[in-house]
Amino acid sequence: MTIGTIWRTWRGAPAALAVAALVAGCGGGGVDPAEQADTQPAASVLAAHGVTTEEPVDPSVPSVPVVPGAPGGPKVPPANGGSGVPLSVADAHRFLTQATFGPTAAAISEVQAIGPAAWMERQFSLGSPGAARAYWEAADAAIKAADPTRKAGSGEVYNAFWKLALTAPDQLRMRTAFALSELFVISLDGPPGSDPRAVAAWYDMLAQHAYGNYRDLLQAVSLHPMMGVYLSHLKNQKADPATGRVPDENYAREVMQLFSIGLVQLNADGTLRRDAAGQSIPTYGPADIAGLAKVFTGFSWACPAAPHKNCFLYGSNGDLKDPDRGFKPMVAYPAYHSTEEKRFLGVTIPAQPVADPMGSLTVAMDALFQHPNVGPFVARQLIQRFVTGNPSPAYVAAVARAFDNNGRGVRGDLKAVLRAMLLAQEARYLSPTSARSSLAGKVREPVLRLTALMRAFSYASDSAWYRLGDTSNPGTALAQAPLKSPSVFNFFRPGYVPPGTLAASHDLAVPEMQILHETSAAGYVNYIRNAVGSGVGSYDSTRKRNDMQPDFAAELALAEQPATLVDQVGVKLLGAAPAGALRTEIVNAVSAIAVPTPTTTNADQVAKAKRNRVNAAVFLTAVSPEFQVQK
Amino acid sequence: MTHIDASRRQWLCRAAALSAHAAAAPLALNLAALGSAAAQSAGDYKALVCLFLFGGNDAYNTVLPTDSASWVNYTAVRSQAPDPIALLAPGTPPNPAAAAGTPARLGGVLPLMPAVALPRPVALHPVLGPLQGLFNTDRRLAVLSNIGPLVMPTTKAQYALASHPKPENLYSHNDQANTWQALAPEGATRGWGGRMGDRLAAMNGMPVFTSVSAAGNAVWLAGDTVNQYQVSSNGAIRLGSDSSGKVYGSSAVAQAMERIVGSARGSHVLEADLSAVAARSMATELALRNALRPAGSAPFGTPPAAGASYSANDDPLLRYPNPLTGSTASSTLAQQLQVVARMIDAGRTTLGARRQVFFVSLGGFDTHDSQNRNQADLLARLAHGMAYFDTVMGGLGLRNQVTLFTASDFGRTFTSNGDGTDHGWGGHHFVMGGAVRGGAVYGALPVLGAKNATNNNFDSSPDQLGNGALLPTTSVDQLGATLGRWFGLSDAELLDLFPNLAHFGTRDLGFI
Repeated sequence: MTIGTIWRTWRGAPAALAVAALVAGCGGGGVDPAEQADTQPAASVLAAHGVTTEEPVDPSVPSVPVVPGAPGGPKVPPANGGSGVPLSVADAHRFLTQATFGPTAAAISEVQAIGPAAWMERQFSLGSPGAARAYWEAADAAIKAADPTRKAGSGEVYNAFWKLALTAPDQLRMRTAFALSELFVISLDGPPGSDPRAVAAWYDMLAQHAYGNYRDLLQAVSLHPMMGVYLSHLKNQKADPATGRVPDENYAREVMQLFSIGLVQLNADGTLRRDAAGQSIPTYGPADIAGLAKVFTGFSWACPAAPHKNCFLYGSNGDLKDPDRGFKPMVAYPAYHSTEEKRFLGVTIPAQPVADPMGSLTVAMDALFQHPNVGPFVARQLIQRFVTGNPSPAYVAAVARAFDNNGRGVRGDLKAVLRAMLLAQEARYLSPTSARSSLAGKVREPVLRLTALMRAFSYASDSAWYRLGDTSNPGTALAQAPLKSPSVFNFFRPGYVPPGTLAASHDLAVPEMQILHETSAAGYVNYIRNAVGSGVGSYDSTRKRNDMQPDFAAELALAEQPATLVDQVGVKLLGAAPAGALRTEIVNAVSAIAVPTPTTTNADQVAKAKRNRVNAAVFLTAVSPEFQVQK
Repeated sequence: MTHIDASRRQWLCRAAALSAHAAAAPLALNLAALGSAAAQSAGDYKALVCLFLFGGNDAYNTVLPTDSASWVNYTAVRSQAPDPIALLAPGTPPNPAAAAGTPARLGGVLPLMPAVALPRPVALHPVLGPLQGLFNTDRRLAVLSNIGPLVMPTTKAQYALASHPKPENLYSHNDQANTWQALAPEGATRGWGGRMGDRLAAMNGMPVFTSVSAAGNAVWLAGDTVNQYQVSSNGAIRLGSDSSGKVYGSSAVAQAMERIVGSARGSHVLEADLSAVAARSMATELALRNALRPAGSAPFGTPPAAGASYSANDDPLLRYPNPLTGSTASSTLAQQLQVVARMIDAGRTTLGARRQVFFVSLGGFDTHDSQNRNQADLLARLAHGMAYFDTVMGGLGLRNQVTLFTASDFGRTFTSNGDGTDHGWGGHHFVMGGAVRGGAVYGALPVLGAKNATNNNFDSSPDQLGNGALLPTTSVDQLGATLGRWFGLSDAELLDLFPNLAHFGTRDLGFI
C-alpha cells in the first residue's frame, strides 16, 4: 500500500513528494496517530527525509527537502539539492562515513546532489553479489598459472574483502555485508579456514541478503556449511536414547543468543524487560536449547550421493563429491534427523512418523523470526555497527519498528531497516549543543579507519589484486581482520563497557574498545605511519614498493602552503578542516619540515620534503582521536 | 543462610592439610598477622597469574576419578559413535597405529599420587605428563575439584528452584567468562584481580604495572583505580617514532604525534578515552624500553646463535610437543608466559613492583566437535606452558612468590554428542607455585553417575545436572579469597571483593 503525501518545504512552498511515502502502521492494523507522534515512528522519520518507498527511485527525479508540517516537529535536514539547500560537505561526509567504507569526493558530490535517501535508493539498485568468490577463484587461477604448486588461501579472502571495500560501487551493500559478518560470525581463524573459497562465498551470501529479508538470511546462515563447520551442526546426529548420546547443542544455543533473540527479553525499544522483582527475564533455558538442538540434526554437505551415510559423515561417497559443497546449502539427511517431539520457545513440533528435517527447520526459523526480540536485538546491533554505540531507546524502537513492518506489512525487510537506521534524525543530526553530543557516535573499527583513509586518498593497487592481507596482529597491524574474529562472539561484544574509562562512568558501551589496549594503540599508529609513508600491502620487489599507493597529487601541490594542505586533508578525513589546537599542531609540524629552495641538483630532496609534509599532514590527522571517533 | 550440607561439602581430600587451615574458622584469626600492612613489609614480592582457558575446558577429560564406580559410568556415557571421547584406563599403553588424538593413540590416563591418599584415585589426561610430575614429584601443583561461579551453596534441589539465587546467564560463554573474572556477566567493568590491585598498587614503584595482560583485554585485571596494562609477547611496542625519536625523519612530527594521540582537545569522552590508552602506551613503553631483559636470554629463552636474531617461534624452550603430529610446534601460550616472566623479573627489580597480577590465555576449548584432537592439542600446550613457567620461576628464584591458577568459562557436559561435549558449569582447575600445598586435590570430587533410563538427567549423582553438567561445590569467590589472603588482603577486604564469600563457611580453601 502506498499513499502519496503532500509536505511543505521548509521554505514554505508546497511540494509533492516524487515518491510515495511509507506510512507508519499501515500494515499493522491501526496505530494511534498520537502514539506515532510520541514515539517518532520509523515512517515519519523516513518520510521526513524525503523518500520512503519500496520501488527503486528514479534518480533523475529529484526529491525535495522537507520538514514536518506540524509546529514543534523534529528538525530535519534539507535532504538534497533540488530546490532546497544541499547537504554540506561535512554532513555528506558524515553520512558516507556511516554508510560506506569511507567518503570519496565523488560520493560526497552524489550525496549532496540527490540527498541521503535517494542515494540509498540508488545504492539499492546496484549489486555485485558473488564478487568475493569470483575474486578468490581468479586469484587462485593466477597463482596456479604462475606456480602450479601453489594455491590461493585465506589471504585471498582478505584481499577480496579489501578490493570490494575499497572499490565496489555498491558500497552500502558491502558495508552492510561487513556489519552482518560481525553479527553472524564465522572465522578464518577456525574450521572455515580450511576452505577459504567457501568463506569468500559466505561473504557473498551476506552481501546477497544485505538488501533482502532477515528470515531468508537467517536460513541461509543456518544452512551454510561454513556455519555448519564453525558451530558444529553440520553432520550433527539425532540422539541415541539407548546409549545416551545427545545432539550437539552448539548451534541451537548460539542462533538464539547471537543471531536472533539474545539472552533476555527486550522491550520494543531494546531496553530490558524486567519481572516484578526487577530481574531480567531469560528468553530461553536449557530445555529450549535441548529442544531446538533436535531441529539442527540431520544436515550435512551437499553431495551427489546424498543421503548416503558417507555423504553425511564425510561429504563424499567414493568419487562422488560436490566441488562446491563448501558453500552450497547443507541438505537434509532424514536418517540422522531427530523424530522426537521438539519443544522450544513455546513452540512444539510433534513427533514425526517420518523424519522431516526441512519441515522442522522451517518451524524453528519461523519461531525465531517471529520472536518479538528480533527487531530490537538486531536493530541495536546494526546501529552500533553503523552509527553509534549507544542509541537512544527511541532510535532503537524506530528501527525495530521498521524491522517489524516495512510499512507494507512485511517483517524483516532489511532495506527498511537500513533506511530507518541511516535516515533517522539521531543518525543524521545531533545538535552540537545537546547534552549527549560529547557521548555520541562511536569509535571507528580499525578496519574502517583504514578503508576510510585509503578511499579518501584513492589508494590504487599496482597488481590490481589489492594484496593487503591479514591485519589481525595487534602489535603490527590493526588488531582486526575481516572474517577473522577470534570467536563467534565477534571482535568485540555489543555490551562491552571499557573499564576505567570516562565512557564507563557515563554507562556507555564502547564495543570497539574491547580490542584497544597499549599494544594495539601503538600497532595502529605504526601501521598508519607506514601506510601513509610507504603504501600498504605486500612488497613488490620489481616495482620496489608496496602494492597499494595513495594518490597525493592534490596534496603535494599544496605542500608549500601548510595551512591549506592541512585543511584539505582534514576535509577528506574529517569532513572539515581540523579545528583549534589540532589544526595548530598539525600545521606547525608540517611547517617544521623544511622544503629546500629548488636548485638544479636538488629535485629529489625537494620532492622528498614535500612528500614528507603531505605524509605528516595525513598521518597526524589519521591518528588523531578526532578521526578515530566517528561522531 | 550459610548453612552447608555437610555431607556434600566436607572436604574429602587432604583432610589433614585442611584441618590445619580450617575452613570454617573466621578469616580474621588467620589474617591477624597479615593484612595489607604486613604485606608491605620490606623485600617481599608476590604475583598472581590467571591462565584463562577460553571456550570452556572439558574438565571431565582433564581430571578423572578412576574408582571403578566412576569409571564404569564415565566410560559408558562417553563411548558414543562416531568418535568416542572416553579416555582409557591408567596403564593402557598407547597404540601407535591408532588415529592421532584418539584415546587409544594417547594411551591411558595418568595417575596422580597425592601426598595424603584420597578415598578415590584420580588421574590426568594423557597429555598432561608435565603436570603429573609437578603434582606427584615436585608437589607444586594442586587440583581444585568442581569449582565454578556460585552465589551461595546450591544443591540440585535448590538449583531447580527459581527463587534460589544463581549466577546470571549460566552456560553462556561471554557471560560466564566474565563471571569467573568479575563475578558479574558481560558489561562488568571491574574484576577481582584488578580490585586486589587497587588495594596493593601503592606498594609498587610504578603502579601502572600492577595489572598486566599478555593476552587481550581482560576484565579480571580491571579495578576501580587500577587499569590493565597490555604487553605484547614481544614486549612493549614503541608508538609512532623510530629509534631516533622521529617520524618521517622529523622530530617535530614525532612530538606533535605524541601530543595529538596522547591527549584530547575537545569534550568528547571517547576521544578522551582513546587518548588515555595511547598516553599509557607511550609512557609504559618508555619505562620498559630498557627494563625488560631480552627474551633470548636465560632463564626466559634460548640465546640465538651469534649474529642471529631471536625468534620466539623457533626457541625450543617455547615449543610444545604436539600430540597430533609427534613433533614440536610454537606455542602462543608459552610466549605469553615468557613475557609475563620478563615483566615479573623487571617488576621486581627495575620497576619496584611488589604486587602484580597477570593474565594469559589459551583459546579453543569449546570442543563441541573433534574433542579428542582439539583438547589433546590444547592440554599439551597448557601442560608445556605451565611447566615452562615453573622452570623459569625456578631460574629466577621466585617460585614461592608467584602463583598461577587456571580458569575457564565453564566445564562441559558429561554426555557426548558423538564427538564432543556441550556447555556446562563447574569444572576442575589447577593451582601451581612454590607456595601451593601441592600434591593434593581440594574440594569434593563429584559423583559421576549413570544417566537416567529415560532421559539425560543424572538422578544418581548429587553433583550432575542435565546432560551431566557439574553443579559446582566450590565457588570462584572461595578461590579468589584464598588467593587474596595469600596476596595480603585483609578479611574485610576479601569480603568486599567477594560479595558472595559471606555465604560460604569455608573462606580459605587451604591450598596455599
